[in-house]
Amino acid sequence: MTESVIEVKNVQKHFREKSVLDGLNMTVEKGQTFAFLGRNGAGKTTTIKMLMGLLKPDNGSLSVLGVDPLVDPIQVRRSVGYLAEDQAMFGWMKVEQLIRFIAPFYPTWDHKLAQQYVNQFELPLRTKVKHLSKGQSVRLGLLLALAHRPELVILDDPALGLDPIMRRDFNRDLVTHMQAEGRTVLYSSHLLYEVEPVADVIAILHDGKIVRHAPTENLRAQVKRIMTNTDAIARVGSKLNILDGRVTAGEVAVTVDNADEAIELLNREEIGYRVIDLNLDEIFEAFVVGQKDIRFELPEVEPAVQSA
Amino acid sequence: MLVRVEKGSSVPISRQIADQIRAQCLSGRLTPGTQIPSVRQMARDLAVNQNTVLRVYERLTAEDLLDVRHGEGTYVSLKIPTAQLNGQRNQYFDELTQLARQGRMLGIDDSGLHALLDDALKLSLEQDNSQDLAQAQDPSSESSDGENA
Repeated sequence: MTESVIEVKNVQKHFREKSVLDGLNMTVEKGQTFAFLGRNGAGKTTTIKMLMGLLKPDNGSLSVLGVDPLVDPIQVRRSVGYLAEDQAMFGWMKVEQLIRFIAPFYPTWDHKLAQQYVNQFELPLRTKVKHLSKGQSVRLGLLLALAHRPELVILDDPALGLDPIMRRDFNRDLVTHMQAEGRTVLYSSHLLYEVEPVADVIAILHDGKIVRHAPTENLRAQVKRIMTNTDAIARVGSKLNILDGRVTAGEVAVTVDNADEAIELLNREEIGYRVIDLNLDEIFEAFVVGQKDIRFELPEVEPAVQSA
Repeated sequence: MLVRVEKGSSVPISRQIADQIRAQCLSGRLTPGTQIPSVRQMARDLAVNQNTVLRVYERLTAEDLLDVRHGEGTYVSLKIPTAQLNGQRNQYFDELTQLARQGRMLGIDDSGLHALLDDALKLSLEQDNSQDLAQAQDPSSESSDGENA
């Protein structure tokens, strides 16, 4: 029996006339590493702020560790390890001062553990927070998010602005300090290839809704590009779950979301095809900018070149 | 044992890891009975989800390539299955066929392809020899694939 740690039901949110979330539903189960993906401005931070009780939804309900963040935001903030996007910390404090300042807010703060993270993350205690490197700030943020031994950790785009080495270190921290401890982790990103190595589950947020929610491996197995001919698409196109389609040079390239079924159908109908594996950027692209209506790309005429 | 993971590839990460370990077991690069890193270690080294590594180890154990001795560690199986090798050989043949087709598309005729294959055989042998030599000359090197030295 799986137990859900986060539940979001039919949440809507507008900022002035602009609709950001439009019927958002999602569930994060205990022990999962849940990657929350979307383009910039898709509403990831808005959702996370609502989970932390920092924003109020227009409609719908949220539950975090069984608590409604609107009713008891303090309880949520005490029990969740939270790292905000571009976390503004008190730059004038030294690292050790900041740790001592934050600790009393959490009844479950573990000083020994905090000390352990200081060593493991190689944090300079005497340095002012504003003088830390980007990588060090993220690690300090992680320390503050983890030292109270939260059951659930919510990280808002923790890898933003990190270089490839630091991103790898961050993924390693996630594997050793969060997954190995059995914590539930929700973290947002706009880079599918960065979350693939560590995420159990991926959810893609687009147009205010989750457009796809699947175990990482399933997503790869189910989203494929199929090359076939126009007649074939005319015959079976309506039965395929097409994310993106285009016709070039007489061939149709359709990106489908149910590759197994699509292949079975094509075999049954004895239609010739080729299957192309997609990389994660292409999968993400198919969901967030894919066009279901098959476009015909007519060859452009080369401009006449005048010989010199 | 050296395993590398390419992020953003069209090959899923679990398959990348499984293929590399399998290839090293079948080619004899990892000798039967060699202890390999634990799930935890491998996950940390590669910065990859432990469940992914666990699934790979389980799959390779089911293929009789790895041998999990509880409380002891994971080892390269003492009985590497040969049927498995046939599967790998079939896959190799498919890839070779693909390469031959690509060669034809580049305008290389059959005798040209034969000549290229001879060159490739010679070159790979030379490379293997020079690698072995380098390892023999530098016993201090703690390269992670030096366990079978």
